[in-house]
Amino acid sequence: MKRVQFEHSPIPYLFVAPQIIIIVVFFLWPAGQAIYQSFLLEDAFGLSSQFVWFKNYKDTVLNDAWLQSAGFTLFFSAIVTFLSLALALLLAVKANEVIHGASTYKTMLMWAYAIAPPVAGLMGNLMFNPLIGDMYQFMNATGMDFDHKLDGFDAGFVVILISVWKQVSVNFIFFLSGLQGIPKSVIEASTLDCKSSFRRFWTITFPLLAPTTFFLMVINITYAFFETFGIIDTTTQGAPGGATTTLVYKVFQDGFRGADLGGSSAQSVVLMLMVLALTVIQFRFIERKVHY
Amino acid sequence: MNWRILSTHLILTIGAIFLTLPVWVAFASSTHTAETILREGLQLFPGGHFFENYNTVLFVEGGVMKKVTALQMTGNSLLLGLGFSIGKVVISMLAAYAIVYFRFRLAVPLFWVIFMTLLLPLEVRIIPSYKVVADLGLLDTQAGLIIPLIASATGTFFFRQFFRSVPDEILEAARLDNANAWRFFIDILVPLSKTMIAAILIIMFVVGWNQYLWPLIMTTKEENYTLVIGIKQIYQILNEGGELPQYQKAFALTILATLPPVLVVLVFQKWFVKGLVESEK
Amino acid sequence: MKLGNLLRTAVFGAAMVMPTTLLAQTEIQWWHAMGGRLGEVVEEISAKYNASQSDYVLVPTYKGGYEDTMTAGIAAFRAKQQPNLIQIFDAGAATIINAKGATIPVAQLMADYGGGFNVEDYIPGVRGFYADSDGQMIGMPFNSSTPLLYWNKDAFVEAGVDGPPASWEDFEAMAPKFAAAGYQALAQSHSPWIFSENFMSRHNLQMATGNNGFDSTDVKILYNNDELKMHWSKVKEWLDKGWYGFYGRGWGDNQDAFVQKKVAMWLGSSGSFGGLSKSAEFEFGAAYLPYWKSIIDEPKGTFIGGAALFAMSGKSDAENKGVADFLAFLTGPEMQYFWHKETGYVPITNAAYDLAKSDGYYGTTPDAEIGILQLNQPGGEWTKGYRLGYYVQIREVMYSNYEDIFSGKASVDDAFAAIEKDSNVLLQRFADTYK
Repeated sequence: MKRVQFEHSPIPYLFVAPQIIIIVVFFLWPAGQAIYQSFLLEDAFGLSSQFVWFKNYKDTVLNDAWLQSAGFTLFFSAIVTFLSLALALLLAVKANEVIHGASTYKTMLMWAYAIAPPVAGLMGNLMFNPLIGDMYQFMNATGMDFDHKLDGFDAGFVVILISVWKQVSVNFIFFLSGLQGIPKSVIEASTLDCKSSFRRFWTITFPLLAPTTFFLMVINITYAFFETFGIIDTTTQGAPGGATTTLVYKVFQDGFRGADLGGSSAQSVVLMLMVLALTVIQFRFIERKVHY
Repeated sequence: MNWRILSTHLILTIGAIFLTLPVWVAFASSTHTAETILREGLQLFPGGHFFENYNTVLFVEGGVMKKVTALQMTGNSLLLGLGFSIGKVVISMLAAYAIVYFRFRLAVPLFWVIFMTLLLPLEVRIIPSYKVVADLGLLDTQAGLIIPLIASATGTFFFRQFFRSVPDEILEAARLDNANAWRFFIDILVPLSKTMIAAILIIMFVVGWNQYLWPLIMTTKEENYTLVIGIKQIYQILNEGGELPQYQKAFALTILATLPPVLVVLVFQKWFVKGLVESEK
Repeated sequence: MKLGNLLRTAVFGAAMVMPTTLLAQTEIQWWHAMGGRLGEVVEEISAKYNASQSDYVLVPTYKGGYEDTMTAGIAAFRAKQQPNLIQIFDAGAATIINAKGATIPVAQLMADYGGGFNVEDYIPGVRGFYADSDGQMIGMPFNSSTPLLYWNKDAFVEAGVDGPPASWEDFEAMAPKFAAAGYQALAQSHSPWIFSENFMSRHNLQMATGNNGFDSTDVKILYNNDELKMHWSKVKEWLDKGWYGFYGRGWGDNQDAFVQKKVAMWLGSSGSFGGLSKSAEFEFGAAYLPYWKSIIDEPKGTFIGGAALFAMSGKSDAENKGVADFLAFLTGPEMQYFWHKETGYVPITNAAYDLAKSDGYYGTTPDAEIGILQLNQPGGEWTKGYRLGYYVQIREVMYSNYEDIFSGKASVDDAFAAIEKDSNVLLQRFADTYK
């Protein structure tokens, strides 16, 4: 906290009010509604409702479809996070080393951050389009029978590829900045101690990047959990057979397409709890690393 | 050592191609006719129909009900991007200022309330949020589109961090000059935060422009579509069969939807990176 | 005294002005899900209606696809901002019809506010789907279609086949010839609608207990039967042999395969006819939905898909009158004929059908009649359609499992067992909601 502060002024209340009001109206109230709705079995039009305790949870969570979706979400998040981090790290390390054309490379590797996930999804969709998509032809030309409309694995491949593509830029920016923040003295000292640049990287550089990596991991997992909605909605829509449905996409399907308010609210609450767990972990780790 | 430098450049080049090729192909394909694309697939080199295609997409009513042009959608996206970023900066600065610089009873609990929003990304509350906005009669309005989005805690956290890093001496000096809280904010803190404000504006503009889920469920009138939503809807019609799929228009729209945020990011690269990285702390 | 004069003048003045404002037109809000060309025709109909009278102004608004429109309608109703007329599709029928009090049955609306209502005016195939178990029509069928087989006449010539198959047995006999000519014989859009729901109807098989769901919400699905499973085993066989192509769930993707001449035959809807005329660069024809001779000798009719218009409750008398007036206009023979010609959807009244016939429309375009003829084929006990809750999710379950069958991930038996189990859970939930 600051040593010097203002006191006895109406200003803080005034200043904080806009944000708090919006939060109450558009965050807390809907969240409360979601919890309330999750305990109700209500017809879509709101004309008849009954309080059913945890029935919605029983019906819609922990059934096959939900478990498939949860499994996919976890698997998907792990792979997307790992791949986008790994690729970005590789590119950042190389970009840090190079002298000629450094800024050109930097620009070209960074700009994809600005693309919206659904736009990336649409581009990817067209690239994999059976009629005109080069990627589709390419995948089939390599011999395997590629059909992302039919095969869950292939569909997952498409969604993962596009998600990773979109996310590499962000990670690249952070990793590069992190690398550039390592003092030259440390680098020079390590060169004296260790001849192999490969070992140098893993024993010195990578640990120094740990805080950045942790931070990015959480960002990426959140991205994979939620923002990939745009990609999934514009490519596979969760098909085939629910193979590419993430938890958040399922909430949208049940609530918005299927008009099952109680069920989708129950799933939302479960998702909220998962996010809570994620954030707690994030703050634990981040706070710890801040004290390095 | 030469091969080492070579391999570095190689890796970087492959990476750069990986990230830029799809968009280049999208652009190239957008300058051909629908027939060409259907016959030959995606294009690597631009065709001759750049002006014609973009003209049609921008100025001729397209869309599901043929009521909206890409120009209108661009306007909607701009409104969203600017409204969102400006609104967010204003609200977050005010709230952060209050929390950092004032000792008042509700400071801590209010801070936690704001913090809690990090736990509630839009996706877990879309349906009740939709209902709230519908109840307030704000569906299909710019206000309903922007306001629910601007109160998340990220902006407040940026500014809170920044304000905390401002040396106390500045406030002490201002008090010596008998500055009150409002004057201090306007005359000293805000100018001091110029770089931060710029960085956040840029980042939030990109975020706002790229919004998908909320506009998707909130806007139903075609005239209110943003570019990002417009592509999706039009693409669905593309897929309804009936007419020859107008892929070149889809690609053109994709390029249009990508251009402004990319330009913003490229032109303001320095600020943008600074703002992004500052937020990590 | 002066004040009194002033007041009197004011009152008279107001009384003069008021009737004029009362003469302002009543707005009728119509939310629909018709995009593209169909949306244009909707706009044309509205324009015609508005031009034909001056009491009401019909305002059509495109609200997105079927699900989006229903969701928007539901939210609006809960916020007391519902439109006067809303288009709800077949899978949403149970939701809106079971919500007692959400709508005014159109039969009642037109009897009370319009000129009356006679269910006999409507062709038999459309009467049942949006009606209650007493036969009272709740929704007005708007864009009604039924599954048809479209065939590429050029491809048939190339393969040396005379005409479209009447039965699936015939299809199996001719499929190898298409393979030899380089075509996949068949593709199909919307598997649940064509290869399940209308399959049951065509072969007169019961789809669900409780009179296909019309009698009660406490019902179970009956998809897990030998006939349907036999059919799907065959379809999987055809897929493996290259006689059948699955292009994904998207309606358009499978239609494109037909338009792009990858497949020789395509199962679509009677409403696809208009779009195909514009996009297909070859001669095509429409034919009846094939059936299995092994299951039934004389196939029964199919039922309508598409959507219906529902009049939402909670509106003023003046507006309800307007809705009834518009519905009367819409169901008039001229408008039905217009809608039928422009879109390919079937005309829902006998009068309209007669008008089309007498106008010689079917002489020039015989394919346009196939849909109605199929709907008018003798009905059986189970050709009325269905009324099942959470049916959007049930269709999702069906798609999911069909995809598993196609990809080989699940056997036909397992897939249908899963469909039965998951559908019944959904139906049970729906029934519980309305207890």
